Amino acid sequence: MIESYDWAGGREAMLRFGPDTGPVIIAALPLFEEANRTRAFVVTILRALAERGIASALPDLPGQGESLVPTDRIAVANLRNAFADAARATARRAYSVGIRSGTLLDTSAILAGRWHFAPQTGPELLRELNRVRQTGDGSDFAGNSLSPAFLAELDNAGVEAARTIRLDSDPKDADARFTGAPLWRRAEPDNDPALAALLADDITAWVRACEG
Amino acid sequence: MQPDGSLEVENTVRAVLRDVLGLSEERAAAFREDTPLFGALPELDSLAVAGVLTEIEDRLGILIEDDEVDGEMLESFGALTRFAAAKALG
Repeated sequence: MIESYDWAGGREAMLRFGPDTGPVIIAALPLFEEANRTRAFVVTILRALAERGIASALPDLPGQGESLVPTDRIAVANLRNAFADAARATARRAYSVGIRSGTLLDTSAILAGRWHFAPQTGPELLRELNRVRQTGDGSDFAGNSLSPAFLAELDNAGVEAARTIRLDSDPKDADARFTGAPLWRRAEPDNDPALAALLADDITAWVRACEG
Repeated sequence: MQPDGSLEVENTVRAVLRDVLGLSEERAAAFREDTPLFGALPELDSLAVAGVLTEIEDRLGILIEDDEVDGEMLESFGALTRFAAAKALG
């Protein structure tokens, strides 16, 4: 079901999944190109959560997805506030699920808990954007025009404490690890329903434990 | 004699190419020292190079500076593995 939510800069679309009662997962896709590469995977996770009786929402954030906000007006605060407004619009107890740089965006929302998969910090995203710019003609970031102010914000954009899940191949600290390939690196969007089911199991157990 | 850990680095680079480029297990397993990469693998365009390098950095815990990236290090599987091993193993 497609709904919408309002934030200070306008109205954005929000996909809804699962039951009309109980807590709701608010999902944050990675920013920019990685969003295209992981959207089908994240929707598979949210559908699997619905099968397990857990509701979710996937908001378009300003300058991302179908949003009409131009990319050169993207600001970290706008992304975070819009995510918080999306959570508030559900009027239910909310938990965040963030993937990659989506984990940067759940800091302003009032949440009962945060769950992060393969988190990417602001400086790591900035480094990657600069590398991508150099593979092009140097004028934009793989088709995205970004403001210097936003790039400066990224350098200091941190991630909140969260239950943190990583792939086996990622050596950084994690609460749990799963086997799979980093779909966010693939040039062609791909999916991994088996991994999505395992992550949905982990999210379900975590939400039930938090709900007591 | 190979330095300690060089086989691990080779396996990591092989897994990164498989995962990032979406290659089959068989294709990745067939990579040899002299298997040509950049210009020879259609999947390895310049944007994919950025993904391969970043993923190698993350998995090996190393940093690759932009001025170190040239055609030579991406010429063959052996060249990329030697570059990564020199960074990771010192």
